[in-house]
Formats: sequence, structure tokens, C-alpha cells
Amino acid sequence: MTERNRYPGYDVLVKRHSPSWNEATRRVMDARLGVPREPRFLSRIEWDTLVAICDRIIPQPKNRPPVPLAAYIDQKLKADARNGFRNAALPPQRAAWQIGLAAFEVEAHQLHGKAFHHLTTAQQDDLLRRVESGRIDAPAWGDLDAALFFSEHIMGDIIAAYYAHPTSWNEIGFGGPASPRGYVRMRNNRRDPWEPVEAGPGEEARVGRENRRVR
Amino acid sequence: MYDNPLTTPRATHGRAPDVFHPGGWVPMREYPQREAVDFVVIGTGAGGGPLLARLAERGYSVIGFDAGPYFRPLEDFASDETSQSQLFWTDERLVDGANPLKMGANNSGRAVGGSTVHYAMVSLRFRPEWFRSRTLLGYGADWPLDWREMWHYYARAERDLAIAGPVSYPWGPKRPRYPYRAHEINGAAEVLARGAEAMGYQWSETPLATVSAPRGDSPSCVYRGFCRVGCATNAKQSQLVTYIPRALAAGAEIRDMAMVGRIAVDAAGRACGVHYHRNGAWHFQAARNVIVAGYAIETPRLLLNSATDRFRNGLANSSGLVGRYLMTQSNQAVYGVMDDMVRWNKGPPSLTITEHWNYNDRKDFHGGYCWMAQGPLPVEWSAAMSTSRRLWGAALREKMGDYNHQVGLKMVGEMLPHLDNRVTLADETDRYGLPIARVTYSWHDNDKAMIQHALGEMQRSLELVGVRDLWRQENDTNHLAGTARMGFDRETSVVDADCRSWDIPNLWICDGSVFPTTGGVNPSLTITALALRTADRICVQARTGEMRK
Amino acid sequence: MANTTSPSGAARTTLTLLGSLTGAALLGALHSHARPPPATRSPAKAPVPDPAAANRAARRLNRAAGTLAASVLFDSTVEHYRGQFQNRAMYTPLVTAAMALGVSAHGTMDERQTPHVVRDTVYALISIVGLVGTGFHLFNVRRKAGGFSWQNLFYGAPLGAPMAIGLSGLLGYLSERVRETPPGQVPMIWGLPAGRVVGVVSGLGITGTVGEAALLHFRGGFHDPFMYLPVTMPPVAAIVLGRSALGPAGIARRATRWWLRATAILGLSGTAFHAIGVGRDMGGWRNWQQNILNGPPIPAPPAFTGLALAGLAALGLLEDHPDD
Repeated sequence: MTERNRYPGYDVLVKRHSPSWNEATRRVMDARLGVPREPRFLSRIEWDTLVAICDRIIPQPKNRPPVPLAAYIDQKLKADARNGFRNAALPPQRAAWQIGLAAFEVEAHQLHGKAFHHLTTAQQDDLLRRVESGRIDAPAWGDLDAALFFSEHIMGDIIAAYYAHPTSWNEIGFGGPASPRGYVRMRNNRRDPWEPVEAGPGEEARVGRENRRVR
Repeated sequence: MYDNPLTTPRATHGRAPDVFHPGGWVPMREYPQREAVDFVVIGTGAGGGPLLARLAERGYSVIGFDAGPYFRPLEDFASDETSQSQLFWTDERLVDGANPLKMGANNSGRAVGGSTVHYAMVSLRFRPEWFRSRTLLGYGADWPLDWREMWHYYARAERDLAIAGPVSYPWGPKRPRYPYRAHEINGAAEVLARGAEAMGYQWSETPLATVSAPRGDSPSCVYRGFCRVGCATNAKQSQLVTYIPRALAAGAEIRDMAMVGRIAVDAAGRACGVHYHRNGAWHFQAARNVIVAGYAIETPRLLLNSATDRFRNGLANSSGLVGRYLMTQSNQAVYGVMDDMVRWNKGPPSLTITEHWNYNDRKDFHGGYCWMAQGPLPVEWSAAMSTSRRLWGAALREKMGDYNHQVGLKMVGEMLPHLDNRVTLADETDRYGLPIARVTYSWHDNDKAMIQHALGEMQRSLELVGVRDLWRQENDTNHLAGTARMGFDRETSVVDADCRSWDIPNLWICDGSVFPTTGGVNPSLTITALALRTADRICVQARTGEMRK
Repeated sequence: MANTTSPSGAARTTLTLLGSLTGAALLGALHSHARPPPATRSPAKAPVPDPAAANRAARRLNRAAGTLAASVLFDSTVEHYRGQFQNRAMYTPLVTAAMALGVSAHGTMDERQTPHVVRDTVYALISIVGLVGTGFHLFNVRRKAGGFSWQNLFYGAPLGAPMAIGLSGLLGYLSERVRETPPGQVPMIWGLPAGRVVGVVSGLGITGTVGEAALLHFRGGFHDPFMYLPVTMPPVAAIVLGRSALGPAGIARRATRWWLRATAILGLSGTAFHAIGVGRDMGGWRNWQQNILNGPPIPAPPAFTGLALAGLAALGLLEDHPDD
């Protein structure tokens, strides 16, 4: 996959020892970056399905280490960390994920005779869209409202995990953690030296050099 | 070794955390459980905080209970959306109805200082007519309060919280100058200003509870933009760094990580204490008076969970209205992209505002709304994008790439009170074995009409200043109110004008749940003003002997 | 003890110490009013103008202009760096203030009785640059959303700041006029006694600077009581200086002198106050990249010192050359 890097050379982690990061932030980010890459709550089958789903919800470029999205979902389920509210039509999140992942497998086998993670990306996307719009027929879903499960958990949990990761901040040019040092220049088109520069087409090399000085 | 405030209470052994110094402590008075204190205050947020400070300063023995941890922001707060969910009420609540509410990060705090630890600091006064909206504007319900009296308490709240606001505020009756000057506006806030000017509407810097110059041990705001996941610098004038330290200095006790599960009532039908869970066990604290300040979900939940043989439908509920008339505020938005490099996350998120449609009555729906500039952080922004636009996959990542060029306007709109929007008890129980809340909510025609009006206005405003790729976030709500409304009589309300329950004379309810209507502005300043008034009223009633009746 | 009204620890101690020192200077100024004016010299026995006196006064003015230029140089460097030199014209005050500083240093050391063509030209040029800069800043404020609103007066380009460099130029220009006084004559500028002209210019300069300090300290909510000093002390100095400059030649100037000295000290202690303010901001000096820019401007207060020195030079001129 080739895609334009809008903030070439920018690495928010370089600021780790700058005044932009405090001790609490370093503690939290160390834990985030050190997440175990193996399932601790989900079964191996559920994990494989989840990894494949994550790859479609947030397809990641091959030229950098991927954000281990499935690991964050597994971690959230293991800790049973919740959001503080649950649509009454859904079971608690652990049950929702387990039923949902199993149902994906059943659907994949019914439609294509293969495990979900062995489907082509087009087949995976197609199945995801069916679930998203509630066009499902496998009894494996039981009482689970598939469309709701898709928006609350598949999208909600996976996307939140991705944009909580420094790699995604580099991608969108987010300044990242900011305490005690915040920002000085508030108006449009103004940049503090610890913020990344955006590269227009063809400017990648020059901007890359500038962004490597951001700290 | 990091002492984790989420696992072990900190306010113990005669000391409480000094919020201004990492690892620091301040002395704290402690009261024995068996001897009745004058007041127990349940909840330490916008309602509980001022009450604790004012009652302690008047010499009463007071204990503030909070289910959440006692943070020292300088050492406990990371610049991180995900881990800062430690500030939110993340215990399960069920949501249903035609438009199920979002809770948690949206409107529910769980910490000493309550939701003010993560609120956006927007500190606005009600339009005076809203206290008589039934009589003067023809909708909702009247408050049993005079706006001029509230104006006096608003001014005091603004002083106590060192609100940074404009030199003169364009809407409503004259108010004293804000204690601190308004903050510099950012690029995203300027878009609101230019858009409002293009439409011929007035705009203003938003009065915010974060200081624009040092105040005591609070340094001025550094514009880090993480306000809604907790201020790691103490510039934010939350209850945690204002009224709570005042309360401690005046002799109040705070019990953190203490979940009150039940208010006890004696044979005479008066509240006599609270059962609370702390350090893995249930305890009982005796009290002469109880004040509930748990906000619009936990307050009715506690009252309903405290039912006895005598009060079968829950405490203070002879009207049957506890849990009823729940209100939220519509929080729809219009977003778009600019060519300029905006970086909208810099600075507090709501630096400018227009209250035009709060003060203009030429419209075909009831109630008012304002809109403010926006600056969400990546996780919140990705959630808004993905749910509203049904985006995932490569399309989502591409659109997220515009993060630094994004601007937006977001409304805070008045939803009308309806009997059937309510909080009830579910069959499920929480980690303490207490039935959890079920929150049922549906929008009505007036709510929908206002939302459409606001979306149209905000969109036009952005179009006029050349913002492109506009889209609407149609499905968001935020603040809560109602569920224990105040009123003129015991048949149609739960508490009187003094926030005292009609049924149990020594039980008060003082938080957003007493609002009969919610207005088109963020509620925290009104809750704080109401709490200051209630504290004064309690002192007056104690002096005149009215308290013992 | 958690404290929500005043700073704690070292900052508090230092603030108190500084405040006491400045207060002592203020007391000195007030005290001098109480004493009867000493009968130094009677107007009847006006001395013959001392040829060295004009040069001394001129050099004092060079020193004043230089002090002001130094304040502007550092302040505009910081502020325009904050503005990322978005416009090439934003380098102008750096260049001109550096030039003013250079020629003022030269003038301060120059004991010759004649003006210097380079100094003279630079000073004249800088006066004009000050006016043009004010125009730029007016334009910047006007084009922002809200126009001439408090928001833009607080956070837009400061309207008074370019005038400071203009004043530095003007003081230098006046110094050259004083310097060219032929031996044995009373220094005159534009047909008026030089002491009176310099006195009025300095008084107006102090008044303008008070306006700037008032605006910015109002922006800071006068959160510290010492922030009232620069809006109370210098105005008195400006008034007594104005009285000395415009009043009869023989009136006592002792009080004026003390007020001006107190103002000069205030300018210097203001720098220390502001440095403490930077240290009190979030992250303290470790976060200097932010706090130097967002905290109180450290180089700004000595503008008062420069103008007070000019006022003292005016007093010297008035005393050396009584004009009636």
C-alpha cells in the first residue's frame, strides 16, 4: 500500500524526555507500547478472527510496525474496562465480543467455507458491511444486535485503540502529550517548534529534515 | 513506588492529598462514624464542593463522600485520552429509549471534584427568563427561584472559580466583570467569530474556569488542550483545586473511594446516616442531615436504592417524580476543513461562543441554544467521524489525516423535560451488589426541531467563512439534568426552592438533578450557584430554628 | 497548606523581598516631598552656562535612549520570534533597536561638543520607524476578527510597543540637538529650552508606557498586588516631571528627582518580578520555550528606566540652564 506521508520524519516519541511529557504520561505510554502481543483473554480462534477484522477496520501500511490493535481489545476485555454505559440491547462487552467473533466465523464458513481470517480482503469487507447493516442470517448471532455490535464495539473499540497510539499521532500530525509544556502559538498557520510540519506533494524530503528537529 | 489512588483511599489518617504538590499532604479533620456529624454530603462535584466549603466555613461538621479517587493532578494525570478514563464513571449503566444517551466520558465523573475534573470549564449563566420559562416563554416549568437572587450567587461562583471571561459579555443583564481576562482565542475559535460576524450575530470569548494568569498555586493555562481528560497543570479551577481545599482548611472531612449505597432513615422518618462501601467493607456514618449531590443518574439511583417499608418507592419520592424528567442537552455539530493549518487541539476547546439563539425568540420551537468552537483530541475525533459518517477502513484513515485542518461548531441546546425520560433501577447489580441505573431517553418533536435549526445555522456560518467538506454530527448529547426537580409544591416536585426534599425535612438534594428545565448553556455554573445559595439557606434555617421542624 | 490565593515557597519570599525594595524606593520618593526644598541656588545667581554641561546632558540622553533601545531590542526579539517573523518587516525593530543601542553607546562615550552625522541620521530614522511600526501594529489589530476589541488589544500586536523605539530615536535626536549647543549658550530645541522639551517628551513617554503596562497588567487580572506599582508610581513621576518641565524655572526639583529615580529602579526590579513570574508558570524555567513567550515579558520593564533616565537628564538641563 502506498500512501502519502503528510508528516514525514515526525516521531512524537522523540518528545518523551522533552517538557511535553510528564512522568504520568511516560508511565502510561510505556505500558501502552509494551502491550503483550498474544491473546490473554480471547481464544486462539477468536484472536485470529479479531486480528483479521482489525486489519480491515484500520488497514495499516507495511513500511512500519503495525499498531497491535487486537492486543488492545484483548487487554480491554481482560481488564473488563468499560465505557460507563451499555445499550440495553447488548450484553456486557465480554459476552458481546465473544458472541460476535464466533458469529463472524460461522458466517464466514457458511458463505465461503473458510475461516474469516482466510478470506480475501474483499470477502472480509463484504462480510463486515453485511454485519454493519444488520444483513445477517446466522443463528449464531442469537440475541446480539449485529449492527449495534458493529458500531459500538467493532468500530468503537478498534478505532479508539488505533487513535490512542503514538503511531497514529505521527500520521495525523497530532502534537501528542503536552504537559507541562503546552502551546504558545494559537492562531492559524502558526507552529511551535515542537509541532510537526505538514508536507505538500514533493516537499517530503525538506519537511522530513525539519520534522526530525521537532522535539 | 506510585501510590495508586484508584485502589486505595488517600484521605485517611488525618490527612488528605495536597493537590498542588506531588506527593504532598494537607491536614484533614476526621470524624468518628458513630457520632452524628451535622452534614453528610454525597458527591463532591459542582454541587457538593461548594456546600462542603460553605458549611464547613460556617462551623458545621461535614463529611464529603465520593465514590471516586482523590487525585493529585500534577502526578496522576497523563496527557492521554485513554488512560484518563480513570476520571469517568465507567461502572455499567444501561441506556435505552429511542435515543439512548452516551454516559461515561460525556457527562459522568467519578473523582473527588466530580465531573468538574474533566469538564470543559464553560461557565455560563442562565438567561433570566429561563427561571420562569413556563410563565414567560410558554414551555417547560418555572423554577421556584428569583433570577436576581441567582444573579447574586452566579457572581460569587464566578469569583470563587476565578472565571476568565470577556471584559463585557454581550448577552443578558449586566454582570460584574469576570475576575480574570479572557484567553487568547485560537484559529478554530476565530472561525466561529468570523462566521458569527458574517451572519450579523454577536460572539464572545467563552467565560472559562481556567485561569489566564496565575492564581495562588495554580499557574496560568498553558493551552495544552487536554482539558476534557483532566487538567495536569491545575490551571483548571475544578472543585478539586478550589472548594475542596477550602472545605478541608475549614475542617471538613473527605472520604474518597467511598461509595454510598443507601441513606438510612430512622423511625421518625428522618435521614440518620449513610451506609457506604470503602476499603472492601460496608460502614455506617451517622449524620443529623444528609445532602445528596450525585448528579442526575446517581442521585435518583441512590434515592431509589434507599427504599424502606415506609418509603416503598424510594426516599423523597411521594410525588413519584424521582428519576423522572431527565434531560440532556443536544450537542450536535457541523465540521469542515480549511486550507489553513489550524491545529484545533491547542487551547481549551470552546474558546468562543454565540448565544444568539438563547436570547432571540423569533424561532418556531421552544428553548434556546448556543454554539461554541471545537477542538477534540484524536480518539474523540475519530469516534465522531466514524460514527457520524459511517467511516472505517482506508477511508477513515484518509479523512483523519485532515485532523490539523479541521474546524467545527457544536451546539449546547435545551431539551425539554418529559415525564418518560427517566432513570429507573435495572435488574443487574454492580460490584457493590447495588442495582444499576437504567437510563431511558427519547427526543421529542421540539428537540428535533431545535437540532435541525441549529445544524442549519451552524452550517451556514461555516459556509460563509469558506470552510469546505462540511458534514453534520447529528447524534450527540451531553450534560444531564432533572430526575429530582425542584418546584412549588410536594405533588409536582421532589424538592423545594432550598433544595430540601418535601418528604424528609433533613434530606437535601443539590446538584443538576433539581433543575426543572436545563436551559441552552452548560449547567455547571448554575449548579455551583445553586449550591452556594443552598448553603446560605441552610444557615438561615438553622438560625431561625426552621431546620428542626 | 493548600492555598488558593497567593503563591507559596521561594517565589513568595522573593516577591516580598523585591516588593519591599521597590516599596523602599517609593517611600524615598514620597519622603522627599515632606522635606522643605533646600535653598540650593537662587534664580538671581544663575550660573554662566558651563560648556561641559550640555555635553553631559547629551550623554545622559544617549544613555537613556540606549536603555530604552535595549529593552525594545530584547522585547521585540522575543515577541517577533513568537510571531515567527511571519512578515519580513518584523525584523525591522531588531535592526533599528540594535542600531540605536550602538549609536547610543557611542554617544554615551563621546565627549565631543558636536553632533555626529551617523548618530543623528540613525536617531532620526529610528523615530520614523517607530511611527511606521505603530501603523503596522494598528493594521494588524484592525484586520483581526473583532477589530479593536479587548481580545485583540491584549493578544494582537501591541499598539504602544513600536512607539518605544520611536521614543528612543527621538531622545537620541534631542541629545544631538543639545550637543550642538554653541559654548556659552543655553541649549535650545525647536526654539524652546532643551530641558523643557526633553522633560515633556520623557513625561509623555512615561505616560504611554504606563498605558501599555496598564493594559497588559489588566490582561493579567492584576493577580499580584505588585502589578499595581507600574501603574501608580510612574504616573506620579510623569506628573511631577511635567510640572518641573512646564512650571517656573525656580521650583524645587528634588521631589521630581526622587520620583524619577524610584521609577528607574522600578524598571529594573520589574525585570526581576517578571523573571520570577516566568519561574512560577507551569514547568518553570525548564519549560522556558513556552514561559519566556507566554509569561510576563522580562525585557519590557526597563523601558521605564530608560525614560526615567531621560527625565533625569531633563532635570539636569533645567538646573544647569535655568531659562528665566
